[in-house]
Amino acid sequence: MSISTYTMPLGPVHVALEEPVYFHLTCEGENIKNVELTSGHVHRGMEQLAMQRNLVKNVTLTERVCSLCSNSHSFTYSMVVENALELEIPERAKYLRVMAEEIKRIASHLFNTAIQAHIAGFKSLFMHVMEVREIMQDVKETVYGNRMNLAANCIGGVKCDVTDELLEYILKQMDVIEPQLEEITDIFNTNHIMLTRTKGLGLLPQEDAIALGVAGPVARGSGLVKDVRRDTPYAAYPKLDFDVIVEQGCDVHSRTMVRLRELFESIKLIRQCCNKMPKGEVRYPMGKIPVNEAFAHSEAPRGEVAYYIRTNGTDTPARLKWRVPSYMNWKALSVMMRGCQIAEVALVLNSIDPCVSCTER
Amino acid sequence: MPGFLKVLFRNLLEGPSTDPFPLVPETFTPDRLRGKVVIDENLCMGCGICSYYCVAGAINITRREDSHTITVWHNACCRCAACRQFCPVHAISLIPDWHSAHPEEEKYNVIEQKTIKYEPCSVCGKMMRPVPEAILKKLYVNNDDVDLAHVRSLCPSCRQLEDARRSAGLPAAETKKAVE
Repeated sequence: MSISTYTMPLGPVHVALEEPVYFHLTCEGENIKNVELTSGHVHRGMEQLAMQRNLVKNVTLTERVCSLCSNSHSFTYSMVVENALELEIPERAKYLRVMAEEIKRIASHLFNTAIQAHIAGFKSLFMHVMEVREIMQDVKETVYGNRMNLAANCIGGVKCDVTDELLEYILKQMDVIEPQLEEITDIFNTNHIMLTRTKGLGLLPQEDAIALGVAGPVARGSGLVKDVRRDTPYAAYPKLDFDVIVEQGCDVHSRTMVRLRELFESIKLIRQCCNKMPKGEVRYPMGKIPVNEAFAHSEAPRGEVAYYIRTNGTDTPARLKWRVPSYMNWKALSVMMRGCQIAEVALVLNSIDPCVSCTER
Repeated sequence: MPGFLKVLFRNLLEGPSTDPFPLVPETFTPDRLRGKVVIDENLCMGCGICSYYCVAGAINITRREDSHTITVWHNACCRCAACRQFCPVHAISLIPDWHSAHPEEEKYNVIEQKTIKYEPCSVCGKMMRPVPEAILKKLYVNNDDVDLAHVRSLCPSCRQLEDARRSAGLPAAETKKAVE
């Protein structure tokens, strides 16, 4: 260790988001030479909690693992239980589930993009993106009854039907939000402040992305065509038309652009859901619980969420295990941060859209 | 930069996008908002499926000889609406009332509590929860000849006997009042 090299702790309080992350940085002047990551500050033992509650209660429990991808958790959990119970869900429920998922995805991506502007010091853009996101929050509140926890999914389908008037309302709101999103995408693509702060920063070369097994927009920002919705389609996704957005830049900017361009794919999916949704029942009853094990995965806003369940014939699972995308993306930070300056740590961290409460659950 | 200047200029023209609540009486509140759990005491049968599926443990049912009391602690409730989904008689629902601020000392008293009184069976005298009229009408929708008020005054086992008698063409059992 040379005389100009020193170590510096960063965190665990409020590095980028209000979530505890802790970095042990080895720096040379302003430049980061090595990063050690420490996690586990918000471990709540949720897998153990899930094993003490019945299958229905766990829908609500898994929805509270994380706030921004709450719907993805209850969605994937419901799917894994349906796989274990060998239960087929109604066609209409499949479309309703996809719709809820994509509404949440728009809100989640916009939140991350807003925080990006906030960390870059562009506070007025932050406020503007959050204001546009408010349109989606209103949609969630009007259709599902809550701004964050939709409580849309249940085992066997969805809890509540969405009426035709509400579908009309959703379509109308999509028309309102689309031009505003185009404007935001244009600002992020051309604004001098955002470009100088994010372009060429936090590089994750494609080889490293493959080696680290990153998921979601982080993988797609490094040129990997990887999307569970396309690779192993579930729910109504096989019947819907959408593109997998890929950027080749491998930097913070291309990850932001993946998220922004995905917003339009989500709008496209919501419109198709509203128009194609068949009439009929929205949930089937659960039936007998066998001794079985099952697996299900889905594409959350941050990447692949995977659930494994083992049932023992009672209504309490013998084992419930889930893996979240931030777990793999988290490890990629040590590659991204190498060579960065200390002031850029927060921006790089935000670019993986970390969900610490999911990862440490 | 011109891109964002356009946004700034528009914001200046359009003014604030927030409601000045509480200076205005009401703010954005959609009909489907999950605000507060309410119980319809005319429908609740006290079966307890809501408390079985309540992940927050916010629902309690106390059973007595002549009544049952259902209590929902609003501060424990997480508004997941599982109770509404599973209630077989639609007695539990969520209303869009989000005004839940209260002083610290009242935190255990912010509850929804309903006590449902039981009545004696008109034949055997056993205390029972009379079947709500709305449910009876659904159960006997194709039986116009059945006297709903009489059926309502019977406990489940007497009702079974009554149904068997009616199917066999026998006269109805004597009620306690008639005996007296």
